Amino acid sequence: MLSIMKREFIDVIKSIRSILIILFITFVSYQTASFFNDNDGLVRDLLLGGEVTESAIYSLAVSFIILFFGFLFGFSIAHQAINKEVELKTIRLIVSKRSMRDIMVGKLIGNYLFWVITITLSYVLIFTVTKSWSIDDYLSSLIFMFYVVTAALLLSTLVKKSLATMFLGMFLGVVIPILGMMSLASDKVYFLPFKYVLPYYYLEDRSALMLIPLVIGVIFFIVATYLMEKRDL
Amino acid sequence: MEAILEVKGLRKSYGKVDVLKGIDFDIKRGEVFGLVGRNGAGKSTLIHAIAGIVHKTSGAFTIFGQTDDQLNRVKRQIGVMPDVSNLYEHMKGLHFLKYMAELTEDKRPKKELIELMHSVGLHGAEYRKIKDYSFGMRKKLSIAQALLGKPEFIILDEPTSGLDPESAIHIRKLVESLKKSGKTIMLTSHNLDEIDKVSDRVAILSEGVIKKLDTPRALKQEQSESAQITVITKPKLSLERIEQLPFQMVFDHEIEEGVVLHAEKKDEVADLVAYLVQEEYKVYEIKTREKTLEEVFMDV
Repeated sequence: MLSIMKREFIDVIKSIRSILIILFITFVSYQTASFFNDNDGLVRDLLLGGEVTESAIYSLAVSFIILFFGFLFGFSIAHQAINKEVELKTIRLIVSKRSMRDIMVGKLIGNYLFWVITITLSYVLIFTVTKSWSIDDYLSSLIFMFYVVTAALLLSTLVKKSLATMFLGMFLGVVIPILGMMSLASDKVYFLPFKYVLPYYYLEDRSALMLIPLVIGVIFFIVATYLMEKRDL
Repeated sequence: MEAILEVKGLRKSYGKVDVLKGIDFDIKRGEVFGLVGRNGAGKSTLIHAIAGIVHKTSGAFTIFGQTDDQLNRVKRQIGVMPDVSNLYEHMKGLHFLKYMAELTEDKRPKKELIELMHSVGLHGAEYRKIKDYSFGMRKKLSIAQALLGKPEFIILDEPTSGLDPESAIHIRKLVESLKKSGKTIMLTSHNLDEIDKVSDRVAILSEGVIKKLDTPRALKQEQSESAQITVITKPKLSLERIEQLPFQMVFDHEIEEGVVLHAEKKDEVADLVAYLVQEEYKVYEIKTREKTLEEVFMDV
């Protein structure tokens, strides 16, 4: 499992797309933290509202990017984690040596590790500028990306063509945040499923509900693994 | 001898198409088991089912004493070369082997991985990308990865097809040396001469069932009710004499020193010898030819 995880992580981090995503997130995080750090007055004004903490203000950019672009970025990186291996039949080699569960866990951790490193790096940069670290926002971002990565793996399992998951991933990456935000703002019945299945509602309040996207992610992963265990490769 | 693989009533269907229609056989420890069959006979499906790449529809198999649903427990004891089209094209040969070694928890150093590449006939290709490998090189690399983890049971799907004769002989010698070192091997091939040379037992798979299973020698003898007989005598047997023979034997063709006859039953060879002695022929050679495995295969 460790070898599959390592290989997956190397493959993910080596791509131009991933490098651009890391640069984008860390650069924006750093610039935003620097901006607020240089504008104490603005921070004080925001704090007067009483709804946010100082550390949350500094990590505003990274939280925003994750919530609005997390699906797009996450899907663009992990959409072909499974179906590409099946298409190229390379999975036959791995499955002749390891269990499907090992393969899936390796794929999950390899992809998720990329996001743990990217998010952590952003928070480290913010910390170096502002000397503050919003634990809640940090955990919320990590949980959100866990949900995204497991959803991408499930997508990659359900849709057999990697080209199809690329387009579907991009489409969902744009549509899901919109639906997620609309489901928070609207009381319409047809938004309810989105409210409870997508992670936005649970991450709105910093409470134990934050763990629910983690549970949903685990369910996605179990379903994806079960489907792969039953499939002829 | 202990069977390390026992297959019972194995069936595999894709939709309404039955590819394997109830396969029964076993493979004993230390033997080379050859599997032959026409394209589409189900050879690869059978190998994929045993390797856990596809799922059986019904039936069962045990491998190293574990049932098929516990296959994961023994995967490290099995080396599989599924087919050649499934290598990581973007990787370099050596790096690919290193990855495969990690998967099998084979901790051999780089030097030994290079030696493994050399042992299958891959020289100077360690740092070349697999996408730049020829078909034969890919095949050799695929065999090399199947040997990682020092498996006790090695499954090779057409290891020599598409290889030049020199490489094919090299791989055949490798199979023989693996057998000598006590490995159990299952291999498929379209080259029946090769299967004949290396296999202890051969199964002929046709239309999803095993039609024949025995040692190559027994298979050839079982099929050899009739015989082709080379007869070298002085004087040479004339066509007229052959027609007058007191038993059923027909002229096949003439060779420089004698004739080749065809007998419906092997027993008639003894009658021929008796007849030639009685007629005072000087008999220099009487030789019967066994059917080749290829001829046996064609008869199935």
